[in-house]
Amino acid sequence: MAAENNKNKSGAAAAFSGIGKNIAEIGTTFKEGDWKTRVSYLIMGFGPICRGAFLRGFMYLFCQAGIISWIAMYGWKYLSKLNTLGTVETAKVGRKTVYGDDSFLILLFGLLSLILVIALIALWRMNIAENRKEEEILKAGKKLPGNKRDFLSLFDSNFDKTLLALPVLGIFVFTVLPIIFMICVAFTNYDATHQSPSKLFTWVGLDNFKELLSFGPNGFGSTFVSVLLWTLVWAFFATFLDYFLGMAVAILINKKGIKFKKMWRTILVMTIAVPQFVSLLYLMKMFAKDGLINTYLMKWGWIQEAIPFWTNPMLARITIIVINIWIGIPYLMLIATGLLMNIPEDLYESAKIDGATPWQMFRHITLPYMLFVTGPYLLTQYTGNLNNFNVIFLLTQGGPKSMALAGGAGRTDLLVTWLYKITLNDTNYKMAAVIGIMVFIVTAVISLVVYNMLPSVKDEEGFQ
Amino acid sequence: MKKKILAVLLATAMVGTMAGCGSEEVASTATDAAQTVADTADTAADTAAQAADAVADAVADAVDTTVDYGTGEIKVWVAEAVVDFTKEKIDTFMAAHPEFSGYTYVVEAVGEGDAAGNMITDVTAGADIFGFPQDQLARLVVAGALETVAPENVDAVRTQNDAGAVGAATVGDELYAYPVTSDNGYFLYYDKSVISDPSTLEGIMEQAEAAGKNVYFEINSGWYNTAFFFGTGCKLDYSIDSTGAFSGSDITYASDAGVVALREMIDLAASPSFQNGSSVSNATNVAAIVDGTWDSTAAKDLFGDNYACAKLPTFTGSDGKTYQLSGFGGFKLLGVKPQDDENKLAVCDALALYLSSEEVQQARYEAVGWGPSNLNVQASAAVKSDEALSALAEQLAFTIPQGQYPGDYWSLATGLGDDVITGVLNKDSSDDDLMAALQAFTDACAAAK
Amino acid sequence: MAKNTSTSSMKQKRAVGNAIAYLVLIAISIVWLFPFVGLVLQSFRSYATEYGGMVEYFIPKQFSLDNYKFILSGESNYLLWYRNTVIIAIFVSLFQTIIVLCVSYALSRMRFKGRTFLMRFWLILGMFPGFLAMICLYFLLKALGLTQAGAVPGLILVGIASSGMGYYVCKGYFDTIPKSLDEAARIDGASRARIFFTMTLPMSKPIIIYTALVAFMAPWCDYVFASYVAFGHDTSYNVAVGLTRWVWTNDYQGFFTRFCAGGVLVAIPVVILFMCLQRYYVEGVTGGAVKG
Repeated sequence: MAAENNKNKSGAAAAFSGIGKNIAEIGTTFKEGDWKTRVSYLIMGFGPICRGAFLRGFMYLFCQAGIISWIAMYGWKYLSKLNTLGTVETAKVGRKTVYGDDSFLILLFGLLSLILVIALIALWRMNIAENRKEEEILKAGKKLPGNKRDFLSLFDSNFDKTLLALPVLGIFVFTVLPIIFMICVAFTNYDATHQSPSKLFTWVGLDNFKELLSFGPNGFGSTFVSVLLWTLVWAFFATFLDYFLGMAVAILINKKGIKFKKMWRTILVMTIAVPQFVSLLYLMKMFAKDGLINTYLMKWGWIQEAIPFWTNPMLARITIIVINIWIGIPYLMLIATGLLMNIPEDLYESAKIDGATPWQMFRHITLPYMLFVTGPYLLTQYTGNLNNFNVIFLLTQGGPKSMALAGGAGRTDLLVTWLYKITLNDTNYKMAAVIGIMVFIVTAVISLVVYNMLPSVKDEEGFQ
Repeated sequence: MKKKILAVLLATAMVGTMAGCGSEEVASTATDAAQTVADTADTAADTAAQAADAVADAVADAVDTTVDYGTGEIKVWVAEAVVDFTKEKIDTFMAAHPEFSGYTYVVEAVGEGDAAGNMITDVTAGADIFGFPQDQLARLVVAGALETVAPENVDAVRTQNDAGAVGAATVGDELYAYPVTSDNGYFLYYDKSVISDPSTLEGIMEQAEAAGKNVYFEINSGWYNTAFFFGTGCKLDYSIDSTGAFSGSDITYASDAGVVALREMIDLAASPSFQNGSSVSNATNVAAIVDGTWDSTAAKDLFGDNYACAKLPTFTGSDGKTYQLSGFGGFKLLGVKPQDDENKLAVCDALALYLSSEEVQQARYEAVGWGPSNLNVQASAAVKSDEALSALAEQLAFTIPQGQYPGDYWSLATGLGDDVITGVLNKDSSDDDLMAALQAFTDACAAAK
Repeated sequence: MAKNTSTSSMKQKRAVGNAIAYLVLIAISIVWLFPFVGLVLQSFRSYATEYGGMVEYFIPKQFSLDNYKFILSGESNYLLWYRNTVIIAIFVSLFQTIIVLCVSYALSRMRFKGRTFLMRFWLILGMFPGFLAMICLYFLLKALGLTQAGAVPGLILVGIASSGMGYYVCKGYFDTIPKSLDEAARIDGASRARIFFTMTLPMSKPIIIYTALVAFMAPWCDYVFASYVAFGHDTSYNVAVGLTRWVWTNDYQGFFTRFCAGGVLVAIPVVILFMCLQRYYVEGVTGGAVKG
């Protein structure tokens, strides 16, 4: 059902322009249709059932019955309050607490109901088109496809519907709905002082966006800019340092005459296999001011004072990037190893004959090839690193903080870790939602711009 | 045959529904009737709790015949260390109160900080009774996650616990929670073999530096760094109205006294022996650590025979005067969440009162060493001779009872502390720089209400 | 003669180059293995004589199995957390693989109305940060009764539900299987479903294993959402939630070496599985990197 819903949304864009055409067709179908078709305007699927297409007919009927009864029994009480998000306050009767409207559930299930209503309208429209199609087939003197054929088509020409029904439904309920919900939260005053079910929250328009962009002494504005900049810088280093160093290690291991290739790779790959919460937490302790590294360096007399790996903002950022190299190299090493073998050996041979140095060969053969092939991967890596929660969270939790930053943000916070803190520590959901939308915008813009610049997109056949 | 089965099914279904309606009606009238009795019964139960157990049983038995408390499950969240202890005590409580036999309980290990956060996130799924540090009180009240203490219990709680604890459980004029401990303060644990004289901060740092060992003081925490600011006489007060919302503030950090305190923090942070932290098991190579009683067992394990504790040291400020490090005196509280069932609320109230009673506080001290808020237990010989608790008691003379502070205060204080540790504010900063930082801090804190 | 010297100098050069390469590789190996060695050593540190907190030395003074005994005895819920994680990982891995295969096949082989829209739409959805949805997911799961005591099935459900969006690598693989095979089979009268089950799937062993392996490894790291859904219900934690609490919460003094022991036990099965199936993993990531 959600699959249809999605598809209808795609149709929606086109249908929007031709909305008049649609209405006209609904009208003519009614005027020209027989009584079965006309009844179908009220009872969906009535026409197909009467004409013997039980499978289709009952599908429409069940969907209609299901959606209407769900909304009547459950959804309406939320849907009807969606405009205010509830008005009945929680009250005390004696010592007893009588909870009033729950703004959260009203918003969540109200949205769900709203989407179901839209789905119902779309289904209704499809039901009319179905009736018209059937009538036309019958008028032309042909036979309708039988139920068995209808059913079997689900495993053949309509196999895509069978395959996609559940995944699309799952994505709809557990990804699309929550995202729509949180986008809506960005326009409400849902925070620690408006916590459902004890308190109501309501729509406030663009206030939260204004707060994010307010550059006063306590505003979020300057903090947002500072966190955003670090996020971009971090993603850049995390992606490209890993990329080039990973490639270098792969070339090193691939070098002729190096033995135990498999062993070297296996050692590196350990960092992928060991769960990050184990390895990163241990590393966090290791680099602490009173941790192993500092203690040994001081014991050996290499340094006089402990190196503030985590407490100096600049150093903390560098340490994170370095540790991320430790995590990232193995992935790149694996990828590069596979790809390097695909480069035709004769390219190198002829270059050698021309007297090219290894660096020149790397610069003019290996690198262009790798960049071309892994362009899209680099892009996904970059956007992935923009949202790389684990590394930051497990190593510094965003710290060190500073007076100069609002909203509990720290010097190493990425937008996502900041978002997490605002959600969990401050339960300031409205600002979290706003920041979330900003993360989306940043990711989307970068993806769009870079994607269109990629050589492998511009020139699809290039190296193939 | 089929028809017969159908008929039987129908009949049972109908009886079922009728019985359902019937019992509901009966139950509701019963509760109505019970309500009038409930108050007297509860007070009876409470006085009973103070009296000997045998008497309590007798009274409870008597109550049993008049009030039906129904059934339910009570969920309790306490810190890991007292989960088993709490289970044991609830068993005792349940055994003494057969009228609550319809209730089962479950005790889950949720640390005090987490508990408050969870309660605020989703109060309906949260625990019915939960332990939390008192600084979360206003936040919980604002979020509607705390019920007031039952009127019949208020007097008992107020008279039996120390005034600070009662104050810490109060918002406006309402008592919102049951005090459990008065030990949420900090003092100094140290290694006797390294630190011979813990009376001055300078002395401690010198001795630790000489031995190449670490001194832990979590100066980037709004809870620990008040030791400096309160020590030099700064004020940090927020007023709250009866709903738990902050209505005003009186913060004097941006003053000469504040600058002295901040400069002392900077000096401390500059020492090679200084480490920022307050958790015994995360500390290495420790000479001394500023920490609370909850870590006393761990500290004993760590220091072994050299274990010692003392009140916080004094320090000589940049103005040449000597100041005693101060700090917060804090409390742990037990809260009951709002209920839509009065009977369950009554049971929760009775249980919370019991879990914060003299008897249980005494037992809890014996089991895990938590310092009691109950006056009688505080006066007991065992508590008085406890090394950690007496160090705390000595320190408490210099501390300020912790009030309510908005969430932003804590993160701002961490920001201030981190600015010291990271060197944004350092030895070269002029008094004007420090004053400007403190002014910004004060303004932000004042705006946070 | 001249030629001879040049080859020998080449040989010499190569030998020097190789020696440097070996040195670099050894250095890299040390850096890469150091934390793991440290972790294992700490896990064997005697709890009785050296306490379980942080220490400033690398090699324990006394080795013992204290920490392993503790986590394997009933004193903590570690075994329960471990079981939860294994259950979640197995179910998520199984169903996620099925769903990804279905979606990939449909998107790779079938042409239907809304196909490109669906792919673009999912691409855009993927750009929203996941945490945004966390609280909403929590309440959705709560409405289904799948939080706290029911957190394990809840996490499985969430882990599976949105897995369709991760079709890229698998679809890329399917794209490389020649379409002419399908067409030949269709001319012979095979249905789409038949082709999928009897032709495409048997040819896709590497990608099936890759998908399952990646899906299996993810739940071991899930800290944030898992702790949110368990909502303080100790017995519903997974290992990541349970163990990080030992490090982060002050309630657990002296649990650091126990954390290390727990971490080692978590790492062992994942590492073994990974090492065995590494070949497929490489094929998967390489393919994924190329096709994006």
